[in-house]
Amino acid sequence: MSLVQLFIPLEGAPAAVSELGELGLLEFRDLNPDVNAFQRSFVSEIRRLDEMERKLRFLSAQIEKADISVRPLPQTAYLARSRSAQEVHELEMALNMHESRVLEMNSSYESLLRRSLELTEQRHVLERTAAFFEQAETRQADIRRSFEESDTPLLQAQLNLEAGGDVHRVHLGFVTGVIARSRLPTFERVMWRALRGNLYMNHVEIEEPIVDPATEEQVPKSVFIIFAHGREILAMIRKISEALGGTLYPVDSNPEMRRDSLMNVAGRLSDVNSVLQNTSHTRRAELLQVAEQLTTWLTVVKKEKAVYHTMNMFNYDGNQKCLIAEGWCPTNAIGAIHGALRAATENINSMTPTVLSKLTTSKTPPTYHRTNKFTAAFQDIVDAYGMARYGEVNPGLFTIISFPFLFALMFGDLGHGAIMTAFAVWMCVRERSLAKYANDEMFGMIYSGRYIILLMGFFSMYAGMLYNDIFSRSMHFWHSGWDWGEIKEGEEAQATQVGVYPFGIDPAWHGADNALLFSNSYKMKMSILIGVVQMSFGIMLTIFNHVHFKRRANIWAEFVPQMLFMQCIFGYLSVCIVYKWSVDWYAVDENGNNLYSSPPSLLNTLIFMFLQPGQVKPEDQLFAGQAVIQVTLLLIALVCVPWMLLAKPLLLKAEHERKLNNGYDTVATSAPRASEDTGNGDSSEVPVATDDHEHDEEHHEFNFADIMVDQVIHTIEFCLNCISNTASYLRLWALSLAHAQLSTVLWDMTLEPCFHMTGAMRTFAIFAGFAFWLCASVAILIAMEGMSAFLHTLRLHWVEFNSKFYIGGGRKFMPFTFAEVLEGSEAE
Amino acid sequence: MSGSYIVIGAVLTAGLCAAGYLFSPRGQNQVVYRTTIIMTLICLYLMWAITYLAQLHPLIAPRRSDLKAHSVPHSKDGL
Repeated sequence: MSLVQLFIPLEGAPAAVSELGELGLLEFRDLNPDVNAFQRSFVSEIRRLDEMERKLRFLSAQIEKADISVRPLPQTAYLARSRSAQEVHELEMALNMHESRVLEMNSSYESLLRRSLELTEQRHVLERTAAFFEQAETRQADIRRSFEESDTPLLQAQLNLEAGGDVHRVHLGFVTGVIARSRLPTFERVMWRALRGNLYMNHVEIEEPIVDPATEEQVPKSVFIIFAHGREILAMIRKISEALGGTLYPVDSNPEMRRDSLMNVAGRLSDVNSVLQNTSHTRRAELLQVAEQLTTWLTVVKKEKAVYHTMNMFNYDGNQKCLIAEGWCPTNAIGAIHGALRAATENINSMTPTVLSKLTTSKTPPTYHRTNKFTAAFQDIVDAYGMARYGEVNPGLFTIISFPFLFALMFGDLGHGAIMTAFAVWMCVRERSLAKYANDEMFGMIYSGRYIILLMGFFSMYAGMLYNDIFSRSMHFWHSGWDWGEIKEGEEAQATQVGVYPFGIDPAWHGADNALLFSNSYKMKMSILIGVVQMSFGIMLTIFNHVHFKRRANIWAEFVPQMLFMQCIFGYLSVCIVYKWSVDWYAVDENGNNLYSSPPSLLNTLIFMFLQPGQVKPEDQLFAGQAVIQVTLLLIALVCVPWMLLAKPLLLKAEHERKLNNGYDTVATSAPRASEDTGNGDSSEVPVATDDHEHDEEHHEFNFADIMVDQVIHTIEFCLNCISNTASYLRLWALSLAHAQLSTVLWDMTLEPCFHMTGAMRTFAIFAGFAFWLCASVAILIAMEGMSAFLHTLRLHWVEFNSKFYIGGGRKFMPFTFAEVLEGSEAE
Repeated sequence: MSGSYIVIGAVLTAGLCAAGYLFSPRGQNQVVYRTTIIMTLICLYLMWAITYLAQLHPLIAPRRSDLKAHSVPHSKDGL
């Protein structure tokens, strides 16, 4: 990682920055951190681009509405970018033109649509009311007839009497219109109440769907006609119907006139419709034309915007007509950056090239871990804990194997591992086609971890073979190391050892009454051994950190006592475990006497090592000279505690005092950088780098008390953690036990009883039992247990392993890259 | 009885590790290849060795009371 400074001539800046954006290897530092977003140099450009982006969004919304598929051109479209300011300007003009044309067409389309709707409704009214009038015609006859009969109510009779011969022509006025069908019952009721029943209302549904231009929804509507008499009442009806959202269309009572206006309406309707269709066609053509280019334009605009945002971070030198940028880049990428800058200069035929100079700095660079699709997921696990400080040992490298391995210790089952592997292989093979589902939260998480799952599956299969478990059943490949001898029915049989099963656990243990006794002891001890190995490895990694950060003294002050403490207690325990395993405790000499005493309990050995140092009872003795060795180890461990506590602070203090004696004092934090002498004679104008917070930590004053407190905490933490972390590794045993037991129970409860059935039921039972067993295996044992084992593995790595050497106080390298800009906006 | 297998296994693993170190594909991922190969071999060996050691001189022997005369898991086909 190097800090580089760029002098970019103003006219070539956008081109240069966009070239760097394509390259994506340079992280720009913000050189104006205390200038707020509105006071920066290129605000107006950004505003212009924002406006263009808004127009593009409007156009794309229009395109979506018109059901035009935007041509996906990810490959070429992503490469699109503006070559010059002229091009951006032209694009802006084009966008303006397209937007105004689309807007205009939209508004005329809308008014035409409304017109067409009105005409359609009017046509319906005219058509339907014709039927009403015909009905009314016949009804007239009825009314007359009823009038002639004597039992008609008095009022009605009077009404009809008044009406005389031509009732409907003189007094009975009518109102016609269209109303939404859902409103019709309300409408009817309101009318009835308002007019106290003095009306005759009829309505008929319009079958043709009518689209409301405002909401673009289909509204089923009905034509209504209301007959009533009296001018006031008719006015009231009009008011009510308008208030309820109905539209009134006047209809002439004369059939001739009605026919004429119907013809008229139909003619106008077809005119309007053809204009409407024309407009729609033109608009579609326009949008199609836009759709061709839309992705490209959007890409260009987004890139331009990102470029100006980046340029806002530069120092703007008004007199020099040049921009000064600073940024981090991987040291081996400087060549590529030079190339990109040269290309940019050539592209715009500029005379003044961009100058790149490397700066020396005391700032901590950001951390850049180059990952590929395989290592990325593992690196993510580590980064979630903390980003490595620049140059710190990256645990991600070791996590690649240790993570699946520890997972497998808990998940060991050949069958379950095979299913998991198959799933992961499927994801890896179909990587490309599955990538589109990666945005889904649930699947995306599993998809991004497919290589972790793959390795977890492989290691689980291996662990399953060693545990001799396949779906909780055992496998029998070699000759068992145990012989059952003569079997007597009903009696407890005990096997005698005839050999050692070469790979994995002897199948003879499977189903034995004391199988758990054996497997618990084995898995518990294995957890301790693996844990001690991993933690010791972690402590060893601190050496690399101490060397890299030039604190070699810490190797003696920290690494050695830590390692000794760890090995004196838990290293010794591990040695005892292995020793106890490798001794044949029941061996006899030629006289038939036991060579050894009965095997001692390791737990007691460890406990009494602390409680009664120097005393080992003969019957508990593991090996000769045990007491002396234990006392020595205990003393070393005890010495290590003050060693850890005092060595480092005293060393620092001595170093500090030596500095003081030599006449040095703490240098002010705002010392100008050595790199400012760029030879342009303008070093006075270049402001001193504005680094502040990161810097302070490195130069704070020497305070012995603080260091001492830190060290006390650190020491106590380490000593306690050695014990608690070792115990924490026992989760390997616990989860593996739980997994094995759970899968045994599942087998015994579901599939096993089906095999013991007889008759026709057996087939069916096995079929159903198998289905249930398989589903439960996948859901509970693989998905859920896998999840829990994964989380425990995560903890073992974050807490037990990383805490030994990893501080993770770094900052991630985030280069300016268009890929990120474009992807980020898509995810929105 | 045959604890030497542990040593043989260790030597074998060390040899494979050396081979993995020397013959891992070159390029920018060489460190990753080397680390993963060596760590894998060590992990696999450790687990096997621990399993083997645990059965080398067992303190207890398997016992069971549900055996029938013909269901003895002597043979290779026994489940």
